[in-house]
Amino acid sequence: MSNPQKKRNFQIEAFKHKVVVDPKYADKTWKILEHAIHEIYNHNASGLSFEELYRNAYNMVLHKFGEKLYSGLVTTMTAHLKDISKSIEDAQGGLFLEELNRKWNDHNKALQMIRDILMYMDRTFIQSTRKTPVHELGLILWRDNVIYSSKIRSRLLDTLLELVLRERTGEVINRGLMRNIIKMLMDLGSSVYQEEFEQPFLEVSAEFYKGESQKFIECCDCGEYLKKAERRLNEEMERVTHYLDAKSEAKITNVVEKEMIANHMLALVHMENSGLVNMLLDDKYEDLGRMYNLFRRVPNGLSTVRDVMTSHIREIGKQLVTDPERLKDPVEFVQRLLDEKDKYDKIISSAFNNDKTFQNALNSSFEYFINLNARSPEFISLFVDDKLRKGLKGVSEEDVEVILDKVMMLFRYLQEKDVFEKYYKQHLAKRLLSGKTVSDDAERSLIVKLKTECGYQFTSKLEGMFTDMKTSQDTMQGFYASHPELGEGPTLTVQVLTTGSWPTQPSVTCNLPAEMSALCEKFRSYYLGTHTGRRLSWQTNMGTADIKATFGKGQKHELNVSTYQMCVLMLFNNSDRLSYKEIEQATEIPASDLKRCLQSLACVKGKNVLRKEPMSKDIGEDDAFFVNDKFTSKFYKVKIGTVVAQKESEPEKQETRQRVEEDRKPQIEAAIVRIMKSRRVLDHNNIITEVTKQLQSRFLANPTEIKKRIESLIERDFLERDNVDRKLYRYLA
Amino acid sequence: MMGIQRDRVRFNVGGKTFETTSTTLANAGRNSFFGALFDENWDLRPMNSNSELFIDRNPDCFAVILDLLRTGELYVPPNVPEKLLCREAQFYGVLDHVRAAKWGQFDGNRLRLSRSIMGPAPGDGTAIRAGPDGGCCVAHGSMVHVYDWMMEEHPPLNLDYQRVNDAGWIDSESIVISACERLGTGDGGMGSFSSSTGEMRYKFQVSHENQIKSYTAGALTFSTDYKIFSSCKGRSNEYGVGVWDQITGKQIDFFYESPGWSLGDADKLQWLNGYNCLLVATLFPRKDNCYISLLDFREKNMVWSWSDIGTPITFDEKRVRDAIALEGSSSICVVNEYEDLGFMDLRSAAGSVRWSSRSRLMNGKLLDEPCYPKLALHDGQLFSSMSDCISVFSGPDCVLTSRLRRSYGGSICDFSIGGDRLFALHSEENVFDIWETLPTSAL
Repeated sequence: MSNPQKKRNFQIEAFKHKVVVDPKYADKTWKILEHAIHEIYNHNASGLSFEELYRNAYNMVLHKFGEKLYSGLVTTMTAHLKDISKSIEDAQGGLFLEELNRKWNDHNKALQMIRDILMYMDRTFIQSTRKTPVHELGLILWRDNVIYSSKIRSRLLDTLLELVLRERTGEVINRGLMRNIIKMLMDLGSSVYQEEFEQPFLEVSAEFYKGESQKFIECCDCGEYLKKAERRLNEEMERVTHYLDAKSEAKITNVVEKEMIANHMLALVHMENSGLVNMLLDDKYEDLGRMYNLFRRVPNGLSTVRDVMTSHIREIGKQLVTDPERLKDPVEFVQRLLDEKDKYDKIISSAFNNDKTFQNALNSSFEYFINLNARSPEFISLFVDDKLRKGLKGVSEEDVEVILDKVMMLFRYLQEKDVFEKYYKQHLAKRLLSGKTVSDDAERSLIVKLKTECGYQFTSKLEGMFTDMKTSQDTMQGFYASHPELGEGPTLTVQVLTTGSWPTQPSVTCNLPAEMSALCEKFRSYYLGTHTGRRLSWQTNMGTADIKATFGKGQKHELNVSTYQMCVLMLFNNSDRLSYKEIEQATEIPASDLKRCLQSLACVKGKNVLRKEPMSKDIGEDDAFFVNDKFTSKFYKVKIGTVVAQKESEPEKQETRQRVEEDRKPQIEAAIVRIMKSRRVLDHNNIITEVTKQLQSRFLANPTEIKKRIESLIERDFLERDNVDRKLYRYLA
Repeated sequence: MMGIQRDRVRFNVGGKTFETTSTTLANAGRNSFFGALFDENWDLRPMNSNSELFIDRNPDCFAVILDLLRTGELYVPPNVPEKLLCREAQFYGVLDHVRAAKWGQFDGNRLRLSRSIMGPAPGDGTAIRAGPDGGCCVAHGSMVHVYDWMMEEHPPLNLDYQRVNDAGWIDSESIVISACERLGTGDGGMGSFSSSTGEMRYKFQVSHENQIKSYTAGALTFSTDYKIFSSCKGRSNEYGVGVWDQITGKQIDFFYESPGWSLGDADKLQWLNGYNCLLVATLFPRKDNCYISLLDFREKNMVWSWSDIGTPITFDEKRVRDAIALEGSSSICVVNEYEDLGFMDLRSAAGSVRWSSRSRLMNGKLLDEPCYPKLALHDGQLFSSMSDCISVFSGPDCVLTSRLRRSYGGSICDFSIGGDRLFALHSEENVFDIWETLPTSAL
């Protein structure tokens, strides 16, 4: 770094520069190259020698004339592009784009050849001076001199937008040419494409679709409108694949979505006579599917559809469950619910892409309106009862499962599952005792389903009922085996029911005919002999009997009747005429039951084995009864039903309700104790929340009831109130 | 056979006739003299058996290049100077082919000494830095000498003729040098230069509280997200590590040194991509103690640190002379003046050096002018210079596998790996060695 050293270095550099031979060398060489560039642009390149041109360009760079070569290139190319620009400007009308395209192709080819000649400059001089490489330079000069030329710029944009518009209105345009021009803009850089075409294109498109959607919404129904919107959307996507930059797809579809869907969302959904509700009512899967797919593309689109669907289902469901007409037939009532569910399941699966959020909306709607009617649990149980009594005859095992699964689905919507349980138990008891159940498998299958849904506790009593039925069979076999003398005379079949497992009804034992009470006594001593420490009481209100009867002209029939009816009929073995009072005295059947029993024996046409005086529909306390000698029937066996209201009568209903409330008490208490045991101290509101949550799977606990239970627990020293904060409870171990 | 006929090409190069096929020439690629020559744009008239293409170039070099295109191997006869060959290859646009045929992918265990270059500068070299495509630059006093891969020297660089502390390649066209400041003049600091023309592109500035300050720039390093890091010493409190943008040249960040941590005097910076942290090492003898830390610039905190303050000075004093982070094994490797390697775990906060039991006593005589050891890392191999040789350690346990030695020029004061080459700068004579791996295709 000493001074002499530095000097020496500089001298060497300076000396090198002076080596150049011919002062005109650079100009001469450049003339050759310039001429070649002219010839290339004039399509006259066949006479040029690549080797010579390459060598000349190389020599210029080698002899430090890179700068001259480069600036010469810029000047020459600019001049040519100005000429080209002029000829494009002069192109008439439709030839404009074609001329532009032709010149662009020419320029590209020329650029490639110029770059070949100047390859050495590109590699060395341009690299070290960080100038723009030849190819890029050629694009920039084209952009500045041709595309940005004042007479081309706006004309190009207008032409392109005009072509798009013509295509939108159904004309066929030259897509190939369009693609080439757009590709040119893209080659010039994404910002050129965006500024010179994409941005204005999007604005014009927005304007176009704003107008079109306004027109459509005035004259089309919703389905038609959606069809048109879908077609437009597809057209735009197709346009992108044919001649636009792939990145434009999201932008242009966004425009269509906004103008055609988002801006008219509510008008479409609520369109009179053709909106969403009508589509739902008419099961227009295709239109619904289209709506789903289009609305999915815009913000809040699906939630709008979902909300309208939800409120519609709620409305329909509310009408269904509160319509007094519907309440007359529980089976029909439940069937309608199931049909409604099927309908929307199908819509969601075939039109709404099985969208989870729609399924949830459907479920919550059902949950909402099913519980609007307090009798829903009873009706669902009655529906099951109907199915299991007769509805499932001749139905395949798979179909049975399908029906049971649907019932379970409704069951899940119920808030008062314990009420259902109560009814279910009653109905099951009746089915079992009357031997009316169609399929044991179906019964058990449903119990398994209930068990998985609600746990062991829920079904243990139901299972106990099945066990009783089985045990009773064995007991009867044992009874007859130990009493071989009973082969003659009436046959007794006893079902021994465990108290607690079965829905007990306050029962008054009636007076059985002597033959029967003797037999019953035998059974009692047999049973108590084998099972010590048990108590048997007869539920005469639940039994049935088959009795043989011979009428006036000797017609013989076997009558299938209830135990009460049997008791009444047996009285007529000894007398022809009996008054109501006499019958009541002899049998001691409760009045309401007796009346129903007599009604079914004397007032039902075709089954009237008794005759009544006076003839009327109802039973009066002063009526008299006779054996109907004229009784005829095509069948040998005649089943005489009891006139029963299939649904519960009003007092019965209240009784069931009461029993449910009674049963809830210990459950609520148990829940409170469980919670307090783990939490030790808790305030009132939190207890209510937690208890409600714990019992949710069975029923909706009433806060007032919970409060009562808490008070009862405090009285019994399970809990105490905090001395300071009266809202706080403590658990007492 | 017709195909072969049409494929055949006859050249007259500087008076000598060559015959080859366009298929062979296609190996040069489209972006070469031959690629353009055969492009359909250039209406190369169909040749009959007698016509030939004339090229006004050296025939001997053409023969070598044609052979390279035929076989992919480079065989240079003694009568062809390498410089001449390179010039011709550059004319045809096949210089990359020549370079690729000259040396292969770097492997520390298969290096051979390719050549040694004498430099013109007097005095001791400070640093040597390998460029990304086979060139290098050497810092001597206030000058940085630049060589391309053909070892052609380019115009040297200087930053106001201030003493150069470090240099580095941003890309094959740009070199950054860091230098001492000259009191009160704003000279020195840091600048970026064109490697081929030597002209300065940017002068990097440091400002504190919106005031531009003069500073001394020390160790340099670059990150893959186009940042430059340099240790900086200013007038008063402006000590720390500065960060600049490689593209705009603007200062974008500054990590002020916390008391006692001597960041502004750092000997070594290393950007750790996986940690998003900068390793800063300030070492003996620049300071009395050694400090190594990892800086997180986002939070401006020191996420890991170690220093030897308080370590009892034992009989065989082991002072850390260089440090390098091994990201793969989450550790920092250090070396002492006896070329013992030590390791620290980056995952534990309070690290202590675990000196390698492989520790070797210095063998041979101590050279007149000993140089402190330096460490470098390349592709999982660890390199350590000591005296006049470089040791190569391989594998996860850093096993000594090779040793590079050349008994000329005195001990090695710095070395650098890049562009598939290793450059070693000697301290006594102004000479550096180039080590290369043989190309795999060569016989």
